[in-house]
Amino acid sequence: MDRSYKDLLKLRRFPHTWCPGCGIGAVLKNVAMAVKELGWSDKNTVAVSGIGCSGRMSGYMNLDAVHTPHGRVLTSAETIKTIRPDLNVIVLSGDGDLTSIGGNHLLHTSRRNPDITVFCNDNEIYGLTGGQAGPTTPRGTKTITSPRGEPYSPLRLGHLLTQQAPYFYARTTVYHLNHFKKCIHEALVWKGFSFVDIVSDCIELNGRRLGFKTAHQMFKWFDERFHIVEGERDHLGENELGIARAVEEEVVPPAEKVEEKPEIPMASLKPFTLEELHRFDGTGGKPIYIAYKGKVYDLSSSPLFQGEKRMRCHIAGKDLTKDIDVAPHGEDLVFKFPAVGRLV
Amino acid sequence: MKPRLHVLWNETYCKRCLLCVEVCPVQVLSLERNEITEKEGCIRCYQCERYCPDIAIEVMDEKGKE
Repeated sequence: MDRSYKDLLKLRRFPHTWCPGCGIGAVLKNVAMAVKELGWSDKNTVAVSGIGCSGRMSGYMNLDAVHTPHGRVLTSAETIKTIRPDLNVIVLSGDGDLTSIGGNHLLHTSRRNPDITVFCNDNEIYGLTGGQAGPTTPRGTKTITSPRGEPYSPLRLGHLLTQQAPYFYARTTVYHLNHFKKCIHEALVWKGFSFVDIVSDCIELNGRRLGFKTAHQMFKWFDERFHIVEGERDHLGENELGIARAVEEEVVPPAEKVEEKPEIPMASLKPFTLEELHRFDGTGGKPIYIAYKGKVYDLSSSPLFQGEKRMRCHIAGKDLTKDIDVAPHGEDLVFKFPAVGRLV
Repeated sequence: MKPRLHVLWNETYCKRCLLCVEVCPVQVLSLERNEITEKEGCIRCYQCERYCPDIAIEVMDEKGKE
């Protein structure tokens, strides 16, 4: 078994600070394994974490790490990625930090789609502060702030983050270990905003109140609650583990229609002299004609010439061949109008 | 790192969450006098090492120590 992932962990700080049986240790270990497997090192990887139990994760990684203010983990990660696009940015945080305090940042960072990978340690409780009901607590769960059961429905991250392509949303648990490792790997190689929702156990502050004695009993509960769905999915339902992803659909611009005007032979056009042309300047209900490269065009339908003798520097009833050199537009503006004669 | 029959157990890293004891499919691991001990019969499935959140238990190679 390959144990080279230990280079990425600060082993002199071990044993880590989390409770016995906590799922954050498993998240830390498996993320370090996946990063090592991809060949990323401390030269090109940054770990960013927020506040909470899971905020300690970046401190145990032997990488450049940022421990950010509460809820601002995604803004910091996006800033790092914007300034240094060559760095791989991984975000290690929890559900309280990402979805409740930083919920607004989660919405708008997923909309802007930066190339960062978010690992959300979703233990469905505010663990660090003692087990209050959080935004991901399932309905009916007894916590210290909801002793008769949580009355509200939890935030459906699977629906929230998969509303608009491109997206990558994976839900997994720390018990389904092979699926867990696969999700981490797929999220790290995904180009764009990828979010891994890792359902984790908090045995000391949540599990004991729910009646579980050991962390393994909680793992068995995850096994009963969730089932893995295979293959490519657009959305994940309730209690489904899997990967939902979609790439951005390329919008094909509609092809511009090219109107083909039949070439009118010069000889069949009505001959004009400059004096004749000069009379057609729009005054007295007469049409507006101008000459360009030997042809006479009818500019009566142009809104800029309507009812006046001149439009800025162009004068009606004149040969405007030389004007096109100093004009800011091209000669295609003249060709839009019908040719009515030729200049002799 | 204290060697057992087939596993190495790290006394300082271990928090005695007993995940390794419960995931073992042949139940050779147990907690006795606050220490993880091992009976004969390990099938080298690596489940204890894979599930340990504290990197406190390692299965030794076939030849012996890591």
